[in-house]
Amino acid sequence: MVFSPSEPKAPTPTLMSKTLHLMHDGLNARAFSKAPKPEALGDARWTDDLILATWFMAETGEMPENFNYMTGKSNGGFDRLDFKFIPEQEWLEHGEHLDTRLNLNRRDDGRQQLTPDLPIYGGGMSYGSVSVNVMMARARNAKRWNSFMSTGEGGYPSELYGMKENVITQVATGYFGVEEKSIKATPIVEFKYAQGAKPGLGGHLLAAKAGEEVAKIRGSVPFVSLFSPFPFHSTYSVEDHMKHIDWIQTINPEALISVKVSTPHDVDMVAVGSFYAGAHIIHLDGSYGGTGAAPEIAKKNIAMPIELAIPKVHKFLIKEGVRDKVTLIASGGIRTADDVAKAIALGADGVVFGTSDLVAMGCTRCSNCEGGPSGRGCPWGLTTTDIELKEWVQQDWGEERLYNFYAAVQWRLRDIMRKLGLSAIGDLRGRTDLLRYISGGEA
Amino acid sequence: MVLTTEREPEHEVVIEMSESKGKVLTLEQARARADTYLRYNIDTMETADRWKIPRRFNVKVGKFGLAKLLFKEFFKYFGHWETVFSRPCTYGVFSGPVGGFSPRPNLCVGCLRCEVQHPDFVTVTPNGELRALGDKYLTWRHISTIDEEARKGSVPVRGQGYRGRFGGPGFDGMFTDMSEIVRPSRDGIHGRELIGTQVDIGKKPMHLEFDGNGAICNEPEMMTIQVPFLYSAPPTNLDDDRVVEIMASAAAKVDTLALLPVDVVNRLELGGANVAPIVNCAGCEVPEGTRLVELRQWDEQAHDALENKGLLVSVAIDMSGDWRADMKEARLGGASILHLYADHHGLDGEDGFLMDTLAEAHTNLVNAGIRDEITLIGSGGIAGADHLPKAIISGLDAVGLDHSLLVAMQARLSGDTKERNSATVQLPDDFDNAWGLQRVVNLSCSWRDQMLEILGAMGVREVRRLRGEFGRSMRCSVLEAEAFGEIEGYPGGGD
Ligand code: SF4
Ligand code: SF4
Repeated sequence: MVFSPSEPKAPTPTLMSKTLHLMHDGLNARAFSKAPKPEALGDARWTDDLILATWFMAETGEMPENFNYMTGKSNGGFDRLDFKFIPEQEWLEHGEHLDTRLNLNRRDDGRQQLTPDLPIYGGGMSYGSVSVNVMMARARNAKRWNSFMSTGEGGYPSELYGMKENVITQVATGYFGVEEKSIKATPIVEFKYAQGAKPGLGGHLLAAKAGEEVAKIRGSVPFVSLFSPFPFHSTYSVEDHMKHIDWIQTINPEALISVKVSTPHDVDMVAVGSFYAGAHIIHLDGSYGGTGAAPEIAKKNIAMPIELAIPKVHKFLIKEGVRDKVTLIASGGIRTADDVAKAIALGADGVVFGTSDLVAMGCTRCSNCEGGPSGRGCPWGLTTTDIELKEWVQQDWGEERLYNFYAAVQWRLRDIMRKLGLSAIGDLRGRTDLLRYISGGEA
Repeated sequence: MVLTTEREPEHEVVIEMSESKGKVLTLEQARARADTYLRYNIDTMETADRWKIPRRFNVKVGKFGLAKLLFKEFFKYFGHWETVFSRPCTYGVFSGPVGGFSPRPNLCVGCLRCEVQHPDFVTVTPNGELRALGDKYLTWRHISTIDEEARKGSVPVRGQGYRGRFGGPGFDGMFTDMSEIVRPSRDGIHGRELIGTQVDIGKKPMHLEFDGNGAICNEPEMMTIQVPFLYSAPPTNLDDDRVVEIMASAAAKVDTLALLPVDVVNRLELGGANVAPIVNCAGCEVPEGTRLVELRQWDEQAHDALENKGLLVSVAIDMSGDWRADMKEARLGGASILHLYADHHGLDGEDGFLMDTLAEAHTNLVNAGIRDEITLIGSGGIAGADHLPKAIISGLDAVGLDHSLLVAMQARLSGDTKERNSATVQLPDDFDNAWGLQRVVNLSCSWRDQMLEILGAMGVREVRRLRGEFGRSMRCSVLEAEAFGEIEGYPGGGD
């Protein structure tokens, strides 16, 4: 009997049913501690506990009792911060009156007010690096939270138009799939200057993942590697950047503008420059974040982790007198509800989830997203457009997993807020006095 | 030089160049000249491991559990054979002749789908044998990464983000800067191909002086290597001619330098422009074509005598001793190339790490107003590609590679791997020169390419401009103090 991997083809209904059943049962067996923690699961940033806790939340919408769902073991940053809760008798009631909404337009410029129910939206993952199923699951979840998810730089698959109120159109340096139609459709246009996991290096979609459909949407040739150069070849200054924004706003005068940058030493200046160029949202992407594929050398060595960039930018915006006119969003290493609250206490208004969404849908953080030796991409069906593998994430299932996960995150955020005596998440912004640093030993 | 086209004389392009004023080139001649231009390139070739590095994971499949599953699925999905025989692994671990009954764990990449799907009879565990490699500085991760780099010659790329600790000791505590809009070049995909990695080694005056006729009186006496790293001598206790032969050949291929003991160089006739013999005294014979020698320790007379032979002279400074005083003495005595040797964990005799000690050495030279007159080389503690730019930012002109080269040649290091010249080195059984040469060349290419990634992200067009650029790097400890300084509990922070 030879079990050789056959040429990938769309799975039959029986195969789908068998595989999905096994995968989902397997995820739940681990999440509900019916089977031991896999020994090879997890790393210092995403520990086995964090991954399993996320699977539990994604299945139940509740917080797990058996796992540490708050911190990893990276020995620094969020993992060394804790909250200074007030005495228990002063805690507020847990409930919907605790306001977790996020205001994305603080410019008072007559454009639309966008206020997601959570201080969270979905980061860019392009079509090609993930499948339409994953994109749709994220978009449908975003809709339920009155929130958003970003297309990333891979164009706008037609299915997404059905969710256009909740989809951010990303304009990045390769301009892949950027069309008047997708600019007009969106409530937010996101300019991606750089990406935390590979700052200053541009993007690269390997040939194996640039199949027929991906190439069509990106305006390219199938199975040819696609590079997004770095940086925008039309931007040398804040004035050039302003021209970009003008151009977008001519096409879509209602759209809010987000500017995504990474975290160099002068990130504070970059943020202020972006504000004066007209950005509503300044999105900082820290160096410990995830991505489809990046040179290993770039991941931790270039630019700074998000925990260190947030206070720098927050304080500088205050100094410049513009802090209340712009929304500061943090991403790149935000894993948990506790990280969200800590990022806000350090000075952000809200955060972007990327890897957490994937973990909620079964990612084990195995690092084979770029294709791995199989060349087919993620065996869990997440970061792949392989005709068979992509079916392992069904839209309904993905949407439900994400919705549950976000519900648990909201519950925990409210739990933190009430224990700090705060009734609105916005009141936590910049409150480093409510944090405690845990020094000594390993954290 | 005047460039003219025969076909379109009205569009004649006139370019004046001082060295050939007045000479007229046809378009074809100009093209022919352009075609002689060779871009620096390191030729890589996939070079398989000779010693199979331990696999990443062990995969155990309970035979009874698998048989039970097959039996159950045979009936449940009878007729749907594709479904019956479908397996969770897309990497072929269960695709051998008897499938999961004899898995092929070497192919496992740890996606854990099999274990999650079949918790009752599959386990995937990290392979302890791999994790036992190396020591606390040159870790198993460094070793497996170097192995991959030496095998493929490319830049390691992986999915998902960073997996390690926040900041960390040694070079992990430094982040390099990037620029959101400044690029080294607007050409090409990333402009990387126009970034220079050459460095100069030798005597450079702080400024040029001219005589009455406009001729330069103090011409720089230096040589240029194409990459900002060179190959430091293998441990003295490694008695294997093949290793030094490989280093000499690789240095010639990459156009860098191999520092090798003079007696070995002479005995094996390895001399040439890319080999720098290490000598004890001025009387040592060095082969024809030698451009640079290294003195084992400072000796003013020997130094001057060697310089008088027209050689560039590097002076080894052992950082386990009073390296500050030794450096000063050599510098005041006229040495212009100083080679600092830390131990293999990058420490000096007082446990000062490279990031600080090199910065101090560099700053002392800056403060003395002579930084550009001195070439600073440093060896010891370079275990990964990121250490190269970080050592240069810390103040080096060029970086010496040592244990990493041996790891590229799949040497197994044991014993005291921290002190210089004390590790026990075991080479693969079927080790040979051609194989070892390509592995070192591959590693060199991979590390140079990764250097280009860093320079490209920074918007720096040549590596020479990276030297001592503390301002284009960030120390995690400094950033943490800024970010968390006012938070209760932060050491020295708020309350
Ligand atoms: S390949 Fe899939 S499971 Fe593995 S890290 Fe990437 S997204 Fe996660
Ligand atoms: S962990 Fe993944 S790669 Fe390894 S055997 Fe299981 S399915 Fe295959």
